[in-house]
Amino acid sequence: MAIRTILKQRWKGLLLFLAVAGPGIITSNVDNDAGGIATYSMAGSFYGYSLLWSLLPIMVALIIIQEMSARMGAVTNKGLSDLIREHFGVKVTVYLLIGVVLTNFGNVIAEFAGIASSLGIFHVSKYASVPISALLVWLLVVKGSYRSVEKIFLYACLFYVTYVVSGLLARPDWGEIGRSLVRPHFDLSSGHLGMIIGLVGTTIAPWMQFYLQASVVEKNILAKDYKHSRLDVIIGSFIVTIIAGFIVLTCGATLFKAGVRVETAADAALALKPLAGKYCSALFAFGLLNASLFAASILPLSTAFLVCEGLGWEDGVNKKFSEAPQFYGLYSLLILFGAGVVLLPRIPLFSVMYVSQIINGIVLPVILIFMLILVNNKKLMGRYTNKRGYNIISYVTVAVLGILTIAYIFTLIVH
Amino acid sequence: MKQFVFFSEIHGRAVLDTQGRPIGRLDDLKVRLGELFPKVTSVVLKKDRRPKHWALAWDETEALNEGPIKLKPGAEDRITTLEVGAAELLLRADLLDKQVVDTFDAKIERVNDVHLLIVDHELRLVHIDFGLRGLLRRLGWLKPVDSFTNWLFAYSLPEKLISWKYIQPLAADLKSRLKLNVTMRKLHEIHPSDLADILEELDQAHRSSVFQSLDLETAAETLQEVDPKIQLSLIESTTEERASDILEQMEPDEARDFLAELPEEKKLKLMGNLGQSRREDVEELLRYKEGTAGSIMTKDFIALPRDATISLAVDAFKKVFHPLESVAYIYVTDDAEHLVGVITVRHLVTCDRQETLGGLMNPHVIRVNIEDDIDRVADIFNKYKFLALPIVDTDNIIQGIITLQDIVEDRAKEL
Repeated sequence: MAIRTILKQRWKGLLLFLAVAGPGIITSNVDNDAGGIATYSMAGSFYGYSLLWSLLPIMVALIIIQEMSARMGAVTNKGLSDLIREHFGVKVTVYLLIGVVLTNFGNVIAEFAGIASSLGIFHVSKYASVPISALLVWLLVVKGSYRSVEKIFLYACLFYVTYVVSGLLARPDWGEIGRSLVRPHFDLSSGHLGMIIGLVGTTIAPWMQFYLQASVVEKNILAKDYKHSRLDVIIGSFIVTIIAGFIVLTCGATLFKAGVRVETAADAALALKPLAGKYCSALFAFGLLNASLFAASILPLSTAFLVCEGLGWEDGVNKKFSEAPQFYGLYSLLILFGAGVVLLPRIPLFSVMYVSQIINGIVLPVILIFMLILVNNKKLMGRYTNKRGYNIISYVTVAVLGILTIAYIFTLIVH
Repeated sequence: MKQFVFFSEIHGRAVLDTQGRPIGRLDDLKVRLGELFPKVTSVVLKKDRRPKHWALAWDETEALNEGPIKLKPGAEDRITTLEVGAAELLLRADLLDKQVVDTFDAKIERVNDVHLLIVDHELRLVHIDFGLRGLLRRLGWLKPVDSFTNWLFAYSLPEKLISWKYIQPLAADLKSRLKLNVTMRKLHEIHPSDLADILEELDQAHRSSVFQSLDLETAAETLQEVDPKIQLSLIESTTEERASDILEQMEPDEARDFLAELPEEKKLKLMGNLGQSRREDVEELLRYKEGTAGSIMTKDFIALPRDATISLAVDAFKKVFHPLESVAYIYVTDDAEHLVGVITVRHLVTCDRQETLGGLMNPHVIRVNIEDDIDRVADIFNKYKFLALPIVDTDNIIQGIITLQDIVEDRAKEL
């Protein structure tokens, strides 16, 4: 009898976990978007294993920051831009939102660049692939069928496992990897600094904080069920880092060794050769396309939501266009211009993806400061304010990113 | 002399004593609620670099004009520390940038600015500004934007002001529930299904405080309309006594649906507090499996023996207060309570009072078994266009009815 009750409770606990599981893990999978795959591939192919170490502190920071977002969502039941508006007033909100919209716009462009370059492998012209996928993404959300497609996107994320297998098959030098993790290599060249900022910016993207908090609010997770969400966030962050690590590692073991510097999707696809042989290009193209489409359907939407929430405009995909004109207008413009930029002739697709992630890294500390002020507000968070350790790690992240950014800009000017 | 002034136009103005020396800056205005257009009672001062707020009665200031705010002689000695009573509101701290309920349009809006009326020396809160103009005014962009749109399109952005009498502020300090009870009355003018939409948009704390302030009947109707996830959180923040009172107000089939979604423990507790007859009704309904006719049927019907006269039926009809579609038909039973016929309400009006139901009834009753699938019920409604259908058990004894309304609600839930 006693055992049965315990089992029943366990079962209930598991069910509850599955019910609230999602926001963290989904956010993490969207996080490995076109910009992510491009940046990780470049990091591995340019610098071998020498930047792998940076993923460990990034993971710690990712867990801490995502946990704060989820906690704020569960305790206040409000989105991040909502809280910023109520706490910092309209002026700060508007200028901050302009910055966030521009940053997210960069990411939207990156997603469409990802679509263009993945289908480019199959010799599909970007002048066909980009407009069609833009229309597809737009319809998916406006027609409200996104929820049903989300699961397909999520399953397709299993593609990342191919990096793990390919990495193992490439027989990397584990001794060298171990040494680079224990003895971090760091230099002050602008390429190196930019790459580290890009790695941080793609793994801990500013938009993720808005999106994760909004998802937690939408799922109506209460403060008392919050510990399940925390687990969800931690698992999600682990998944992101392991995948990122294996992309860097695989590219290091294959491309870096062969002296290939990733500049196109075809280059990056070669990393999957140990697993897929001559099919590596097709496999990579499929993975990149899925990642890009997944993020391209979430990013413009989440941006439109956060702006309307902060400025008090009607939002929601179940409203008519005339009821929520700003919401649909912004959403449509982001897709239209995001896709439009990629259609410019001779635009270097991989550089676009990479640069957008560097901008993410530069904007992140600003968002973090706002989050930290809010999460430490007793009136708002009650007994759920940050513990001291959290604050230390967060402020260190802000400081390190700030210093890296200044150093990076300095090296750019000097050159 | 202007007749109206926006709060943003006087916020931050210098406050001077009679000699023209600066005392501080106008940081906020305090109004006393209760009147239709609340009067500004105090001006809140902020002295440079001091975090504490100071208050001074509005009467102590000279007439308001374009420049700084001047105090009457000796007023600076009557400055006190700021205290906010239960029926008082601070315009900036409690209203600006916050969400309020617009009871006119039945939706949540964000306050961009506050419109004040100047009568003699009094200031009264008359309108809330939700519009883009208010937003631009706060940002200091209104004049450039106005001259631009005038020059280019010969057009000015419209004002979007809503009278204060339609505004329901949400309490700033949720710990003081008192404040809510004073002012929440206006919410009862909103239709429960609109109220449910509003509740869904609010955060947890505001949601439960609004819900607590509703009367039992409105609370019951609203509770049935909100999302099940929110139902649970609302009922958990309600005392068990009140929760049971709310449950008493619901139709038994609605109460059944509501209870079926709750965790077992909570369900039993709430049912324990219900009155005997209501509890038995609900318990019976809960016995039927989800998706069967029994699970959505209602007990509100009239059944009479076949030898009863029309005049008896009219009396029975007069005594009940069920919704109209529940009593559109009167069911006729034999001595063993088997369902044998049906007459419509029209008979009550048109037929001779002395005739018996057995003589007038239609013996071909379309009926549904209590275990039948709801899909089948829906098909029958679709085919025969009834307003209600009788539900019988295996012995052909009438147990309840399903109304058109019930089936519409059930189908709407599945969409």
